[in-house]
Amino acid sequence: MLLSLSWLREFTPYEGSPEALGDRLTMLGLEMEDIVRPYRDISDIVVGHVVACAPHPESDHLHVCRVDAGLEEALDIVCGAPNVADDQKVPVALVGTRLPDGTAIKKAKLRGAPSFGMICSERELGFSDSRDGIMVLPQECQVGARLVDAIALDTEVLDISVTPNRADCLSILGLARETALAFDLPLHIADLQLVEDPTEQQVLIDIQSPDLCRLYAGRVIAGVSIVPAPMRVRHRLHAHGVRSISNIVDATNYILLECGQPLHAFDLDRLEGGRIVVKRAGNGEKITTLDGQERILARDDLCICDARRAVALAGVMGGLNSEITEQSRTVFLESAVFKPEAVRKTSRRLGLSSEASYRFERGIDQQRSIFSLNRACAMIATFSGGRVLRGVACAHPTPFIPARITYRPARANALLGIELSREFNEKSLLDIGCAVEKSAAESWLVSQPSWRPDITREADLIEEVGRLYGLDAIPSLPLPVLRDGGQGGQSLHAFWSRVKHWAAGLGLNEAVNYSFVGHKDLDHLGLPEQGRVSVLNPLSAEQDVLRTALAPGLLQTLRNNLAQGAHGLRIFELAYSFEAASAGIGDTGVCVCETGKLAVLLYGARYDAVWPYIEADADYADIKGIVEHLLHFLRLPPPVVCAQRDAPACLLPCVDVRCNGEEIGQIGRLKPALAEPFHACKDVWLAELNLDRLRALHDKIVMRFAPLPVYPPVRRDITVIAGHSLHAGKVLAHLANLKNPLLVESVLTDVFEPEGQDVPEGERRLTFRLTFRHPDRTLKDAEVDRERENVANSLKQSLGVRI
Amino acid sequence: MDLLTALDALFVEFEQALAGAASLESLEALRVDALGRKGRLARIMSRLPELAAQARPAAGQKANSVKERCTALFEERANALLAARESAALKRFDPTLPGRTPWRGSLHPTTLITEEICAVFTAMGFDIVSGPEVEHDYYNFEALNMPAAHPARDMQDTLYITGQMLLRTHTSPVQVRSMLVRRPPLSVIAPGKVYRRDSDVTHTPMFHQIEGLVVGNLINFAHLRGTLTTFVCAVFGSRTKVRFRPSFFPFTEPSAEVDISCSLCGGTGHVAGGPCRVCKATGWVEILGCGMVDPTVFAAVDYPDSVSGFAFGMGVERVAMIRYGINDLRMFFENDTRFLTQFVRG
Repeated sequence: MLLSLSWLREFTPYEGSPEALGDRLTMLGLEMEDIVRPYRDISDIVVGHVVACAPHPESDHLHVCRVDAGLEEALDIVCGAPNVADDQKVPVALVGTRLPDGTAIKKAKLRGAPSFGMICSERELGFSDSRDGIMVLPQECQVGARLVDAIALDTEVLDISVTPNRADCLSILGLARETALAFDLPLHIADLQLVEDPTEQQVLIDIQSPDLCRLYAGRVIAGVSIVPAPMRVRHRLHAHGVRSISNIVDATNYILLECGQPLHAFDLDRLEGGRIVVKRAGNGEKITTLDGQERILARDDLCICDARRAVALAGVMGGLNSEITEQSRTVFLESAVFKPEAVRKTSRRLGLSSEASYRFERGIDQQRSIFSLNRACAMIATFSGGRVLRGVACAHPTPFIPARITYRPARANALLGIELSREFNEKSLLDIGCAVEKSAAESWLVSQPSWRPDITREADLIEEVGRLYGLDAIPSLPLPVLRDGGQGGQSLHAFWSRVKHWAAGLGLNEAVNYSFVGHKDLDHLGLPEQGRVSVLNPLSAEQDVLRTALAPGLLQTLRNNLAQGAHGLRIFELAYSFEAASAGIGDTGVCVCETGKLAVLLYGARYDAVWPYIEADADYADIKGIVEHLLHFLRLPPPVVCAQRDAPACLLPCVDVRCNGEEIGQIGRLKPALAEPFHACKDVWLAELNLDRLRALHDKIVMRFAPLPVYPPVRRDITVIAGHSLHAGKVLAHLANLKNPLLVESVLTDVFEPEGQDVPEGERRLTFRLTFRHPDRTLKDAEVDRERENVANSLKQSLGVRI
Repeated sequence: MDLLTALDALFVEFEQALAGAASLESLEALRVDALGRKGRLARIMSRLPELAAQARPAAGQKANSVKERCTALFEERANALLAARESAALKRFDPTLPGRTPWRGSLHPTTLITEEICAVFTAMGFDIVSGPEVEHDYYNFEALNMPAAHPARDMQDTLYITGQMLLRTHTSPVQVRSMLVRRPPLSVIAPGKVYRRDSDVTHTPMFHQIEGLVVGNLINFAHLRGTLTTFVCAVFGSRTKVRFRPSFFPFTEPSAEVDISCSLCGGTGHVAGGPCRVCKATGWVEILGCGMVDPTVFAAVDYPDSVSGFAFGMGVERVAMIRYGINDLRMFFENDTRFLTQFVRG
């Protein structure tokens, strides 16, 4: 809400600076965002008097003017405007002045005639787009005065951010009320004398939807002529960001800003039957609003109609079919109060918000509707030469009844944490406009001011008292120790936090990507369409679905980093993936499954530095090692992996990871063809694990100490010769399944693929180190050799390998 | 040569040979040759039975003496060679060569700030809770005193999944969920992701918030001030000034915005003669919203009239930007490793 200081001063004698006012209002909950000085750019323009004006001898359209601008000598100024004339008061830009568009005024010669300045148009000064030549000022303007002073422009305007509860502060009057309260100043509302014509107005008001319209009033002004509003009004609107249209419309906007009551002017001659009907729209009914758009209405849209058709969308915007035009002679001026929810609904549905709807949604001071109507009529009569006919056409289905609130000063103290006197309580309530009945010492009856729709409960009054006392003046108290009713134990947040620290400690960089991606990103990776959760109103097609996997985000991160010239990337992310539960997405409950995931992406160079490392790219062993490390960190057994035969489209190879028999995720390499759009020319390794399952498994683990062995181990190597199809894991699993009590550990120590003609295709040698130990004595060499032999035989028999 | 002469000769030859040995390996070979189990000394002494019985002890003593002297000589020479080798090695040693540094990991700034803030509150006895990111309209709006036609809904442009399901616009629904499963007194803090239908230089459609809620008997605004002042001092430094300014949130009353003195300009509003860009020359930076829980919210969770409480919420990115001097919000979600690797907790 823009607030001009000079307008404010018409209501309350505030003499301080805009800064001081802004600071004080801010601390009362009306935050000042900015101080606007709309006429800073033209502050050097002065008032000049055209003392002589003669046609330029060398031109058919230029004039050479003699202008008294308050300087010692009158100036010669060449002017090209057709409307310049003798004895005019005009705005003059002297030599050295800069116009709002940046033009610097210099001494010039136009077709031989010297010119020492420029007579300005409204357009050049930024007032309007008018091309009607130079701006002509009222004769009373003093020569040599600054233009901004001479025509009393609103040079200081505060931009106040008004919270949705403070409907009353969406007007100069409301902000003046707060200013008066803040600085203990009187509030004065000057009367505009309304002279009624003896002819009685004849408009009938018929409210057919009284649930949506609380008050509808109107007056008729006859014999108006449509001309521009007086300069003062046009400029004031301009300073408050409102475009000037005509004397009638400008008057309604002026009162809207001043009193907060939206008004609408109809051309009465275009209202059929001379009556107003307020009713719900017919389904599919159409109306063309003032902005020229055709709107299709729904059953709950409230319309203002004449005898035949809709002429306005109640509280939102007028209709084109009844608007004021240059031909209008009779005006019907509406001042109404509509149900806030109804206006909001229509405004939201049509995506059409106006100064009027904004105020109606937040609440109107119903007690001031007629006052504002009369004030606007008085203005219009002055501006247009019209006659205000006698009487107000009015229907008033829901009169304003102030809420009567029980107020306990002791409750205010208890909630605010301070001891306020009863006197302070009472004064504060009276100051904000409440009526206070001290019916009992402990409990008062307080009536709501008509302009404060937000004050209906005790809590609202306590807030007001606290606000006036100053929330910043309330002392600080330490929080008493509360016995929290929480479940205790390991929270989800703590678990995630530990995994994040593990990953960072391991040397991975944490990324955070948006939870939404595009359907096409999921399609690209061949992720199933089923179970996707789409966003109904996405900002863009890149963000129209919740991610079902973290991979798309990490790949986006990869692309961003490769674009910055990264050679290698090791990133991780912890986040939810979203899937529609099998029940589907209903309107009744939360049916979207949020699964905690950990994803890791490795790409390119294994190490950032070269020396003393051997240069190599990250590979399967790196990503798998990270998964193994995590399971160890969570005290879980090593992962059991299995290459997927019917792998999903995006990973190849794709390896299922299980732990304690539960599937916990996948590891794999992004198919090179799919990696191309991310500009990845090396292998992209991905791991995506289900954190919820890992957490559940981890929670079951109890950390227990295992006694250290007393007797020394004996080690033997065994080399298995077999084809590629025999996976190392199969040998290890076989060794584990032997359940030989002496064989305590088997580790793969070497993989060798011999070359040569006598070596069968695809043969390789896997060397395992077997560790034997007896719990109660030292093993003898011969004994161990025998055990190794047994192991070798069993491998030969069961797996068909050579040793 | 008799045995004793042979012993003397052994010593002299050993001494000469040692002097000529240039490496520890040849030195060791000489030692083995002279003093080893099958070496020359042993061979000489194998002739001991040739001597008369009464001459044998003297010969034995002599042999021992030769062995001791040879060993001493050997050790002296070996030490000298060892020292020379080490000093030569030391000359080649370059301590400035890079180390075999393991990967350098990092935590996202929102993680660091979230954890730091949560730690302040858990130290005060708060419990960390979480809630779903896809929320029902009821928890996100209705139960927080924002019915469908409430203009306050304009403050938060919402991303919807269906008519009733949405991406939570704030962490405040966790307040409601916490109150429904716990009874007062309670003090919880809820960090998490939130979503708005908003994207420009200063807004991203996803960001992080931390919500706090305290409910009990006799909880008042002074406790709110005390708690949040403690928080501000812990996170922004004890000299930071705090200002509570009335504001509006549908689910708290009275409501306040908390401003802290601007860390860039020190609260003066000016830097190097010009207006401070961080606080827009006001000297204050808005850091969180808070207030006493609105009675409507208590009614929605069926809490008795006798309880009171306060709630607060803050944007994590905002705190991170102030703390680390980050000037572009969008950087948080671009995940450029040159940005990410700057954030480690020591």
